[in-house]
Amino acid sequence: MTMFRQGKTYILISVFLLLLSENIFPQTTSTPYSIFGLGFLESTSIGPNKAMGGTGIAFLSEKSINMTNPASYSGLDSLLSIFEIAVFGKYTLFSTKNENQSLVNANLKYMAMGFRITPWLATSFGFVPYSSIGYHINTEAPVEGTNVNYLKSFSGEGGVNQVYLGGSVKVYKNLSLGVNAAYLFGDVTHSESSNVFNYSLRDVTYVSNFNLNYGLNYHFNLKKWEYLLGFTYNSSKKLNTSNETTIETGTGTEVLKSRIHKYEIPQNFGVGLAVRKDFFMAGIDFERSNWNGINFNNPLIKTRNSNRYSFGVEFPSQGISKGTTKMFFFRFGAEYRESYLIIDNIPISYKAVTFGTGIPLKGALSAINVSLELGQNGTIKKDLFRETFCTLHLDMSLRDLWFRKRRYE
Amino acid sequence: MKGKGVGRKYRQIFSFTSISAILGVVLTVEALFTESCTKINEFTIGKDFVESQTKLQIIDTFKVNLSTVLLDSIVTSSSKLAIVGSHRDSTFGSVKCESYFDLAYQAFNDIDPRAVYDSAAFVLYYSGYSYGDTISSMTLGIHKLTEKIVSFDNVYSYLYSNESFDYEPDPTGTLTFYPEPNSSDSTISIPVNLLGAELFNLILNKDIKVSSAEWFSDYLKGFVLTSGTSENKSVIAFIADQTHVFLKLYYHLDLEEPEKKEISITIGQVNHQFNHIINDLSGTPLFMIKQEGNIISSVESDNKGFMQGFTGFMPKIQFPSLQNILMENRFKILKAELVFEPVIGSYTDFKLPQYQKMLLYRTDRENRINFNFYLTDNEGHAIFPKFELDDLYGENTRYTFDITNFLNSELADARFNYDNGLLIGLEETEFRTSLDRLLIEGKKPPVKLRLYYLSY
Repeated sequence: MTMFRQGKTYILISVFLLLLSENIFPQTTSTPYSIFGLGFLESTSIGPNKAMGGTGIAFLSEKSINMTNPASYSGLDSLLSIFEIAVFGKYTLFSTKNENQSLVNANLKYMAMGFRITPWLATSFGFVPYSSIGYHINTEAPVEGTNVNYLKSFSGEGGVNQVYLGGSVKVYKNLSLGVNAAYLFGDVTHSESSNVFNYSLRDVTYVSNFNLNYGLNYHFNLKKWEYLLGFTYNSSKKLNTSNETTIETGTGTEVLKSRIHKYEIPQNFGVGLAVRKDFFMAGIDFERSNWNGINFNNPLIKTRNSNRYSFGVEFPSQGISKGTTKMFFFRFGAEYRESYLIIDNIPISYKAVTFGTGIPLKGALSAINVSLELGQNGTIKKDLFRETFCTLHLDMSLRDLWFRKRRYE
Repeated sequence: MKGKGVGRKYRQIFSFTSISAILGVVLTVEALFTESCTKINEFTIGKDFVESQTKLQIIDTFKVNLSTVLLDSIVTSSSKLAIVGSHRDSTFGSVKCESYFDLAYQAFNDIDPRAVYDSAAFVLYYSGYSYGDTISSMTLGIHKLTEKIVSFDNVYSYLYSNESFDYEPDPTGTLTFYPEPNSSDSTISIPVNLLGAELFNLILNKDIKVSSAEWFSDYLKGFVLTSGTSENKSVIAFIADQTHVFLKLYYHLDLEEPEKKEISITIGQVNHQFNHIINDLSGTPLFMIKQEGNIISSVESDNKGFMQGFTGFMPKIQFPSLQNILMENRFKILKAELVFEPVIGSYTDFKLPQYQKMLLYRTDRENRINFNFYLTDNEGHAIFPKFELDDLYGENTRYTFDITNFLNSELADARFNYDNGLLIGLEETEFRTSLDRLLIEGKKPPVKLRLYYLSY
């Protein structure tokens, strides 16, 4: 009974936040680079991992759900269920050779739930973004046949979300395998409009498909240290698309012939290594996405296979072996993501350093993880622009002793 | 067990509170930053990435036909203005305006037997409107009608500019004066002493002719205020309502110190007051308009379009080749403007009509007009033109009407009906009472249709 009541509370919170994210959080520009392809690719790392440079391929889901590697769910405590929800706020300074402009955006980031079903099977499901599109670029366009220009703006919104259901099976003592079955869905919307002449052309492509990603985790002890190894893989997948292009003027809206845009997600594999002793943990990740060959039909950009490197460290506030209910965790890390985009022969890369802390709530069962990500994306070479950003991530990890209670009642 | 329950509840509340707190922090941080950030409608970075899928261009090469339509009659009753005078020039020919009205009956009070009649006059107040040369003197006469003013319009009981009623050839009174149309509250008095004496005696003797409205209207059927045969150089408007037009009879009581008295008789029904126009177009570019069925192309009328409300001239605009635009695919007309210029030099001696009252009316093959069918914007408000005045050379004086709605609604059925033209006019009340003229240049430059055309 308690489980259901608690579950209801979470569902209520989720619905409440989803509504909020629709209505209260403004859809602000995140980055003009998101004009290309599926937009800005969101990292799948969540919770504490966010503060560790997004590192997590080898980590087990102990303090938090680690959806980066579905095999990690086997680390879920047999008595605890975890509910996580996160928001972020991002300040970005955009710089070109000549000027600076800045923007802020904030939104709901993800929601996830995880628990163990049987001693050998654990599961997680949730909602995470795969990519996001958000830009609003004001420019001038000519009125042809005159020497007059008028104000015109280009904007993009949407992105690909995924709802996933994952499972992890302990196949052998220290070996677990896992899979996330995700449904990718969303839209890629580009529009151009003019207030002066009151028109807008909206090109909306709805995308969807199912996708599986696989994971493996193996851990062993050696000389008082625990070593963890993780592997992840997903194959490339074409997304199903349907396009709706409309033009709206003062006289009404007309549906135009559908345009054809092709979208694909790349083949991806990752390797992670982590070491752990008591409450100290450190890890490194390497990931490769094979974008080469995925064509966005834009003469300005090319794609390439991209690598991601990261490392992260976590240590407790009270000495690594003590472990009390008032213990904080401190985390730091760094991440370097080669871009899959090459614009005008210039690669657009993402680099960031991260810091964070895990603050215990309610007897260390639940926690608030706060992290700060400082980084750069892009470059000011060749009339491109660089983003210098600072992102505050806040997530709540709520843990409950559902199953134990049910047994008692 | 009880304690557990409390703990659970506490935890739920706590979850809500924490999440609200997180949200609060994020929103606050965002609000703080947003203040200092670039406004979303000023953000320009990334403009090299955008690729336009639309093209906006101006097209003004569609032919526009200009002609002049003559309305055979316009309603002039109930305008509350008596428009009189005459004017002649080589553009609109000779225009003569006369104003008809009748008098209101009143139960006359008994007049003291010691009363001695002095004089009588029609007292008229300037409305402020004038047309033509008001520096020259003006002669107006007032004549008695020999028939009553009746409307032949069974539906609305209107009286029209082309209607007239018989009147006595000899004026009851005349006045030659220098008009002062702009001095407010100033009046003219047309002496009608003989008529006054006769009416005074009838009232004094309680004659049957002044005993009831019927008798009174048989006796004094009405009046017309006219230039008569005199050649005037201007047309003046007087206020014609029941508080401004009076026949005044002046008398005094024959006492040791004479006591001045007067009897005021106001005009009768407002809808019996109307203005009649006699327009002779001989020797003007519009000479052939009546023979050609009340429409004349600008090509045959000195390359001009003519507008003058009171005389019923309205320029007509047609778009003979606009149908061709429908052969194009994938386009939208974002804005359509009708641009025309007044003939240079045509508004130095005559003032232009008030552009704030200019309207475009829809018309059809028969050049019919309904004063309710003027062009409106999306909110249903009348569209007035933008007017630019070039004081120096006049070359850049122009009117621009936004006709986007009209054009898009005409094109909506994928067919453009050439017969559905536009008439350039004034607001109805202004049109019925103003002689202000607009000559539209039809050739250099011609009237233009300027389309803001979006292709995609």
